[in-house]
Amino acid sequence: MGKRAYEGPLERVEECLWRIPKSYKPGMRVDGLIYANEELIRQIRNDQAPEQVANVAFLPGIQYASLAMPDIHWGYGFTIGGVCATDPTEGGVISPGGVGYDINCGVRLVRSNLELADVEPRLEKLVEALYVKVPAGVGRGGAYRFSDRQLRDLMAEGTGYLRKRGLATDSDIELTEARGCLRDAEPDRVSDRALSRGTQQCGTLGSGNHFLEVQVVDEVFDEEAATVLGLARDRVCVMIHSGSRGLGYQVCDDALKQLRGVPERYGIKLPDRQLACAPVDSPEGRDYLGAMCAAGNFAWCNRQLLMWQAREVFAQFFGRTWEELGMALVYDVAHNIAKLERHTIGGRERKVWVHRKGATRAFPPEHPEIPQSYRKIGQPVLIPGDMGTASWVLVGQHGSMERTFGTTCHGAGRAMSRTAALKASKGRRIDRELAERGVVARARSWRSLAEEQPAAYKDVDLVVDVVHRAGLSKKVARMRPLGVIKG
Amino acid sequence: MFELFEHTADLGLRVRADDRNGLFRDAGRGLFAMIVEPAPHGEPVERRTFSIDGDRDDFLLFDWLNELLYVFETERKLFGDFEVSISDRGLEARGSAFELDLRSYRLLREVKAITYHGLKVERTQDGWLAEVIVDI
Repeated sequence: MGKRAYEGPLERVEECLWRIPKSYKPGMRVDGLIYANEELIRQIRNDQAPEQVANVAFLPGIQYASLAMPDIHWGYGFTIGGVCATDPTEGGVISPGGVGYDINCGVRLVRSNLELADVEPRLEKLVEALYVKVPAGVGRGGAYRFSDRQLRDLMAEGTGYLRKRGLATDSDIELTEARGCLRDAEPDRVSDRALSRGTQQCGTLGSGNHFLEVQVVDEVFDEEAATVLGLARDRVCVMIHSGSRGLGYQVCDDALKQLRGVPERYGIKLPDRQLACAPVDSPEGRDYLGAMCAAGNFAWCNRQLLMWQAREVFAQFFGRTWEELGMALVYDVAHNIAKLERHTIGGRERKVWVHRKGATRAFPPEHPEIPQSYRKIGQPVLIPGDMGTASWVLVGQHGSMERTFGTTCHGAGRAMSRTAALKASKGRRIDRELAERGVVARARSWRSLAEEQPAAYKDVDLVVDVVHRAGLSKKVARMRPLGVIKG
Repeated sequence: MFELFEHTADLGLRVRADDRNGLFRDAGRGLFAMIVEPAPHGEPVERRTFSIDGDRDDFLLFDWLNELLYVFETERKLFGDFEVSISDRGLEARGSAFELDLRSYRLLREVKAITYHGLKVERTQDGWLAEVIVDI
């Protein structure tokens, strides 16, 4: 199940680009295109991810190609690291599997004017303070509670709702992708069941590969862009990786249940039932879209509240306000989402639904949708590393608009299954190993640490290198973790 | 009888039983074994009844596990064992619910969702087999 090697065609098109021709399987409407170098493609061949890239090419209305980023790995129907765009005017579909269970799982980066020397002597106590304050892990309710009515307002307005409650600033909103609000949100399409899962979870970290990290900028690759983003060598920052929690999973669940038997009704033949989908302009399509956007807004609020709690911890710990500490938001990106965007395809501008599942938007300089202050350098892209190794900041480049519907990678991708990682960790104390590397780790579950150990992931530096070479996004800075909180 | 199996980013549950009722019972037990240890024990706080419609075994298994996950997440309740009865119309079950007391249990991982991937319920030579992958 997902472990057989791929045996279909992979033609090398460029140094970092491989093609699965649409002649590979009858039913493919477009080619598959995978961004990877030689080393990564060897790993990629080891599971059925390329087969899934070929399967996505069956989707009605798909434009140009079924795309995959270098951190691609096997997923449900769609790979993680997959991108596709569908045109509603050509019967284009929307597919929950192309977004993922964790709708708007994403990353935000908060900078500060603290230097490594300010934090290092007190690191363990700082991480403890964050661990105590920031809710993480299974069955952990949050500090913030919202009634059903409040949740619906929050899902309609996104981070703007939190600003009204004094939990977000104008700048926080300005520097969030989509300004923290997808206008197509329809909270009434979110089920009561999803609401009941979300009511205590806004402002909680979750577990698995989610984290809150205190990081330090290790190396700067683009001085101009780093300066604009407020990053410099040895400056401390905070990175948050989390999503829409139980509410989002339930929205995906509800949609998949509603879609049982639906593709057949629209005459859509799928090679894998997990590509379950409906035309965008259908009742089922609209149901999912409205709920998905609402869940996306919930996720932005979740990350906003996580950041707010981190700011409060730092303020109390250092005895200054978070503003005095310079803890401004750098940016926030979604990496599991579908968005209606304008793209030029075959010389013509069209509006398409871009599905990004484990892939990040990477708009280039001058794009009107990125914050004014970043127009010269391009949209920041935040790549969370796995525990104990590097995270990255990139900026979008023109290559992404030309080649990948304005998209780049999202992270490292798993190389080792959870059970294999657990086996590999037997007798080892992962937290001690991390401590030996200078990383203070606190997790609610030791299994979470073991299953998320660095060896379980592909090398993020390799992944970032590929997207840099392919012109999709450019390296700005690399950060290493000092302390990490996990669920 | 159940066991966990390997799957790249997530976790699989494989269940074998002599009959369908036992299969669904053990699938429920297996789900909680993924989430906490030790198995739920002590004084139950209530007896809960479940009733789920469905005429396809695989979707019924999916909906059954989904329901258990929902109760766990929203009410912080664990279940140790069940009495299950499957018919052509669906599933009826009863189980004893235990409070999730973190002094008595260790949380292992968060099961975010039951997935359709490789979802299988089938007869075998010796009885029944079910497989399901959960999203961690």
